Amino acid sequence: MIIKGKVWKFGADIDTDELFAGRHLMGGDETNAEAYQEFISGSGLSQARNRSNVPDGFLENVRRGDIIVAEENFGIGSSRQQAAETLKFKGIAAVVADSVHRIFFRNFWNLGCPALDVPGISKGFSTGQEIQIDFGSAKIRNCTTGEQFDYHLCVPPWFMNMLKAGGLIPYHRSMNR
Amino acid sequence: MPDMAMTLVEKILARSCGREKVVPDEIVDLNVDLAMTHDALGAHTAAKFEQLGAENVWDPSKVVVILDHYVPNKDVDTAKKCQNIRRFVQKYGIQHYYEVGRGGICHQVLLENGHVLPGMVVVGTDSHTTTAGAAGAFAAGIGVDEMAVVLKSGKVWERVPNTILVEIDGTLAFPLSSKDLILWILSKLGVSGALFATIQFTGTTVSHLSVDSRITLTNMAIEAGATNGIIEPDEKTLDYLKNATGEIPNCVHGDPDAHFARRISINTEDIKEPLVAAPPSPANVVPVGRVEGTHIDQAFVGSCTNGRLEDLQIAERIIRGRRVHSDTRLIVIPASQRIYEAACEQGLLASFVRAGAAVSTPTCGPCMESHMGVLGPGEVSIATSNRNFPGRAGDPTSEIYLASPATVAASAVEGQITNPKRFLGK
Ligand code: SF4
Repeated sequence: MIIKGKVWKFGADIDTDELFAGRHLMGGDETNAEAYQEFISGSGLSQARNRSNVPDGFLENVRRGDIIVAEENFGIGSSRQQAAETLKFKGIAAVVADSVHRIFFRNFWNLGCPALDVPGISKGFSTGQEIQIDFGSAKIRNCTTGEQFDYHLCVPPWFMNMLKAGGLIPYHRSMNR
Repeated sequence: MPDMAMTLVEKILARSCGREKVVPDEIVDLNVDLAMTHDALGAHTAAKFEQLGAENVWDPSKVVVILDHYVPNKDVDTAKKCQNIRRFVQKYGIQHYYEVGRGGICHQVLLENGHVLPGMVVVGTDSHTTTAGAAGAFAAGIGVDEMAVVLKSGKVWERVPNTILVEIDGTLAFPLSSKDLILWILSKLGVSGALFATIQFTGTTVSHLSVDSRITLTNMAIEAGATNGIIEPDEKTLDYLKNATGEIPNCVHGDPDAHFARRISINTEDIKEPLVAAPPSPANVVPVGRVEGTHIDQAFVGSCTNGRLEDLQIAERIIRGRRVHSDTRLIVIPASQRIYEAACEQGLLASFVRAGAAVSTPTCGPCMESHMGVLGPGEVSIATSNRNFPGRAGDPTSEIYLASPATVAASAVEGQITNPKRFLGK
């Protein structure tokens, strides 16, 4: 499996209050999947304009299939899955960071979106470049500069199947059948 | 066999996945002993559980559901979430449910009611689930999709964490408390210093701390990015749990020759004065003297970090016979109904009320922008809670300083950030 996308370069310590502020946790109707998706997508990162670790123009210009490359400690903070969901519903296909916080890491994968922690990776990318992730050979490529990086993932063996199924819930549903 | 030696967390995880030995970074499948969710993510969890198409909860006796973030409900949205949670609890026969007025903040409720025992694997839909490590359990936060799967299967995977041993020695005299200690540790580790790691707190200082004080340490382990925080159970832990459950639980201990990824030695003598985490991060720690005189609009004593009886006692000692400064407001919230009751009986709440503080029933309150005590644009707060990211408790331009109950109470009296040392012995 290979994914390719345009890079948005984020800074360090992107926290879950920044991704999805606590005030939004109270809203939204989780029992209505479609309406909920719209709500989550519209609420998350809405105040992040003022934050220096989010790239300029991200909220206005992010497109389906784009990929975030970030510095250390992506997703520090709360277990609120909405922090990961808001990125998914905005179209982010993957997060690659120097390090990723444990709960965000799990939440993002569980939504069918890979998060990769690759020490030092952020130095190799800037916003607007093209990134390619090859899950078969465990390699990340900067298609703009030609630079290549190896990564090592610490995940259960069934994770790639979960990714293909579209996330944890669809994966478990498919096993029920 | 020396290579069989394991840390406390490795022991717990090995037992839970049925192996003789586990090593850091290994992926293991754990049997969950206790699962917790609350009003902030419980309705979301319930919706995900329904999506899974499961017929039953794997073991309704191992699930605890607690309403704490938005209670008593503040609007129709939060009321609906709580209704959905109650329906879920009834439909699946969840055995431990804490209603408004009978529980408190989830992490406190789990510990003081003896739901958490040494050696357990505990998961909760809350990052501060790490708190339960104060009872010698492996306790970590997970998201709602995973919780749905846990509720169905009783299983969760984990990447075995490295253990960082934080050895703390020396005395901790008033006005210093375990809050100053954990802020000091955060200043050493930073907000990412313990990613995918356990922080195990040990040393003579920890032995001398009450269990209530220890809870503050494991509570904020997550602020260093840790998977979990843990403290080896000792006589005090057993007394605490006996008090909660009526029985003396069995204990799991780490091996004396276990391997630690990192050891950090802390001498409390190096902590010269109370500490404050200045915005925008819990690891942005400075001695209180550096920010003394900063005007505060609001002071908050409460949360799962510092809303316990001893915290209220310390704050009351400073407030007693004084007034909250006319330019500021003080909000005091006991972390649980039990603490509320004890604080009532001891006259602490009356003392706060007399001083001009707003006292509430147990809830998360101004810890997060969810319910009450929300900060307006540019407002500054000093709080005993655990996070001060921009926008955590209100408008993104508001600011939060994190400090001990003593520092917060002293600051409320002065209307500005104040070293509680000045109130010593008065
Ligand atoms: S008091 Fe704060 S940190 Fe603790 S559970 Fe409530 S919102 Fe979370």
